[in-house]
Amino acid sequence: MIDLENISFDHCIKCTVCTIYCPVARVTHHFPGPKQCGPDTERLRIKNPELLDDSLRYCTNCKRCEIACPSNVKIADIIQSSKWKYFKKKFRIRDYFLSHTDLIGNTAVKYSGIMNFFTALSPVKFFLDQVLLIPSKRIFPKYARGTFRKWFKKFARKKQSAFGTHVVYFHGCFVNYNEHGLGKDLVSVMNAMNIGVTIPRERCCGVPLIANGYIEKARKNARFNINALRKTIEDPGTRIVTTSSSCAFALKYEYANLLEMDNSSIFNNLNYITRYIYDQFQAGNVPPMKPVTIRAAYHSPCHLERMGGVIYTIDVLRRVPGLDLQILHSECCGIAGTYGFKKEYYDVSQKVGSALFKRIEKARPDFVITDCETCKWQIEMSTPYKVLHPVSILARAFEK
Amino acid sequence: MNYDCLIIGGGISGLTCGIRCQSAGLSTAILSAGMSALHFSSGSIDLIGYDRARRIVHSPFEYLKEFTGAMPDHPYAHCGVDTVREALVFLRDTLKAEELEIYDNGERNHFHVTGMGTLKPTYFSQRSVFNDSIRQAFERRAKIAVLNFEGYRDFYPELAISNLLKNELFKNVEIVTGRLVFPDYGDPEKNPFEYRSIDIARIFDTIQYLDEIAEQIKREAGDAEFVAMPAFIGINNYKKHHQILQMLTGKLIYEIPTLPPSILGMRLDDALKSRFADLGGVLIAGDKVMGGDFLDGVLDHVHTQNYGTTRLRARAFVLSTGSFFSGGLVSDSGGMREPVLNLRMSATSPRNTWYSPQFLDRKGHPFFEFGVETTGKLNPFDAEGKVIENMFCTGAILAHYNPIGEGSGGGVAVSTGYYAANQIIKACGK
Ligand SMILES: Cc1cc2nc3c(=O)[nH]c(=O)nc-3n(C[C@H](O)[C@H](O)[C@H](O)COP(=O)(O)OP(=O)(O)OC[C@H]3O[C@@H](n4cnc5c(N)ncnc54)[C@H](O)[C@@H]3O)c2cc1C
Ligand code: SF4
Ligand code: SF4
Repeated sequence: MIDLENISFDHCIKCTVCTIYCPVARVTHHFPGPKQCGPDTERLRIKNPELLDDSLRYCTNCKRCEIACPSNVKIADIIQSSKWKYFKKKFRIRDYFLSHTDLIGNTAVKYSGIMNFFTALSPVKFFLDQVLLIPSKRIFPKYARGTFRKWFKKFARKKQSAFGTHVVYFHGCFVNYNEHGLGKDLVSVMNAMNIGVTIPRERCCGVPLIANGYIEKARKNARFNINALRKTIEDPGTRIVTTSSSCAFALKYEYANLLEMDNSSIFNNLNYITRYIYDQFQAGNVPPMKPVTIRAAYHSPCHLERMGGVIYTIDVLRRVPGLDLQILHSECCGIAGTYGFKKEYYDVSQKVGSALFKRIEKARPDFVITDCETCKWQIEMSTPYKVLHPVSILARAFEK
Repeated sequence: MNYDCLIIGGGISGLTCGIRCQSAGLSTAILSAGMSALHFSSGSIDLIGYDRARRIVHSPFEYLKEFTGAMPDHPYAHCGVDTVREALVFLRDTLKAEELEIYDNGERNHFHVTGMGTLKPTYFSQRSVFNDSIRQAFERRAKIAVLNFEGYRDFYPELAISNLLKNELFKNVEIVTGRLVFPDYGDPEKNPFEYRSIDIARIFDTIQYLDEIAEQIKREAGDAEFVAMPAFIGINNYKKHHQILQMLTGKLIYEIPTLPPSILGMRLDDALKSRFADLGGVLIAGDKVMGGDFLDGVLDHVHTQNYGTTRLRARAFVLSTGSFFSGGLVSDSGGMREPVLNLRMSATSPRNTWYSPQFLDRKGHPFFEFGVETTGKLNPFDAEGKVIENMFCTGAILAHYNPIGEGSGGGVAVSTGYYAANQIIKACGK
């Protein structure tokens, strides 16, 4: 049946502008690009799902086609939903492993030492490459010891009640299982701004599940998160923040547009962190900062760009004294979440990123700054530079 | 959010304005909804191609002196001829800084060939479209081969040639055609008839196909001295690959602008955006300005679709949202309007006089001349008719000029963007 709500493909004027800006079509002739995979063939698939073309799998869901389209066609949404509507489900242990971040993360953090040791071993890498089809060149993010939640409960939670204002922090899987440092920086930045932090019950936002076609599981997580977050904002002034631009994008937009879930109860309260800090700064809540004398190149992640959040990050960073900030011309880094972890897409992923890597090299920064954890992995693996989160920069500036 | 200058619309006009402001040290942001008219254009910048009697203008600046005297409401008259000249030089130098070279014919217009095989007077073209060697080869009446890729349906060499041969200038020129076929890249499922210029450009961008393409060009062009192809000789590597192909084939190769998507226009767009970012400008893409609020007679802030309640403030605002095509102007049953701030439009006549009976009328349609009314400084008027002093309108949104009939679209967009920037820089005390 044709869903009359979603016929934005009908607005397509066939200008091919989207295909020009698709970073994947740019690097591989095997991907016909957004125009053809989206609006052009959606009408065929609606008539006959057999007309599905395997090349759809190349799409990374970066949404750059939607940004470029002069006619407001939801091209990437069309492609994503076709992917999981029409492709036959095939169980793949690798995709399961990459997308069930909660399950894997919870186990991995218990044995993080062994895990990190093993995933770096060449025989293991060989096994991953040959059997699981995870490219051996890919460097795995390290697992932390224990979860961020445990740390928070043990060392931070008590102190938070001293603050009059509170923010709800959706930390996401990356902070919980891999990078506690960012979560700790968030707590110290908020506290320096005289704001307490609470952490809600949460499950993986669902980005990797959506990408790998585990739609029912993604919907389940979405339902859980919407309910859990709604409970935290009974006081309507309460704000929810994330330090991952992709979590924020999923909670706000993918839930509504792709998973067709009603997230209106949390929509207005939830933002990526720099928006919240920006608002606080605007209201005059700017703690004293000490100079952070580094030269940094800022890379804007695709999803932050799509959702409209880049200017807050830039504005917040520009207030940090001493920070010499160069904004890089916007390009996709190529990793697109779990995409770059798959052997069949590894080369495409690196080729997509190469333009960005070149720009970074040209900028010769001390550090790169970006809002997204997977962009961070990709840039750290592919360039000699370490990547910091905007919140970690602020944490340095606020340090007493 | 607070900027010195906030520009709405990232077409060539907004980008020129933004680059000028940012390079003068103003903090500048450009907000743009979708890709601009550049992607649909020839990629050449028209300055003034036809006089009021529809004769071709050869010396545009000389003509503009007389023209602006006679047309005091025309955007060129507001800018003044000297500013127009300065603006074009600024654009050329900006593009050069991004390694995109423009053929500069000094005081003279030149012609570029259209995909239909007609000739259009224009002022700036990329060097792969026009340069001195091409001019000389043409003056020698050298033989031309017009080549196309098999399956590319946006260009018909036979049609182009039959039109070209009708033109006086091509008298006694021998023109042949030929076709190139796709190098095999191991994807038998791919149907070449689905290709658009962008797909072919990507093949040209890939170095390992060049040898084979060069062989084919040599074979198909035979003893022709120069080869014309639709403009799809690459995007990122076009400059190097164009040179390599000329070297490998020993022929002059030049590009004919195609139907959209325009690779030539896209190169301009890329270069300008990259320049703006390198200078430290903030480009917010994929977002639409929905409206704004006034305070004490000046525009205080605007708001956008994505940023919701956040107010984007600036000392000066520039509206370069283009014409009907880009959504800068809209027409509905109530008539024509400017949708963002409801600015005053030039007097519009009844709907039945908007169009010329011929769709492709060379004079353009009367509605092309409708647009936002401004003062000589490009300040628009609000709905009550009061001048908005901290706001400027530039480019295709402006009234009182006819981009098609005059052949002046690009020139007006660049000049007015530059002229507005000059005033903003002055007002900000830089
Ligand atoms: C199809 C076509 C082909 C042309 N070819 C040529 C040519 O070959 N040579 C030539 O010299 N001239 C050509 N012209 C004339 C053209 O008008 C100018 O050259 C020039 O490109 C206009 O630039 P601009 O910046 O004023 O507007 P545009 O290029 O139209 O840019 C306007 C931008 O504003 C954005 N926008 C609109 N509304 C909003 C909003 N509310 N919020 C945020 N952003 C918004 C649009 O998305 C767009 O990106 C052509 C025009 C058209 C329509
Ligand atoms: S950019 Fe938009 S209108 Fe143009 S082809 Fe793509 S989907 Fe269609
Ligand atoms: S979402 Fe990204 S990868 Fe997918 S079609 Fe659009 S631009 Fe291409």
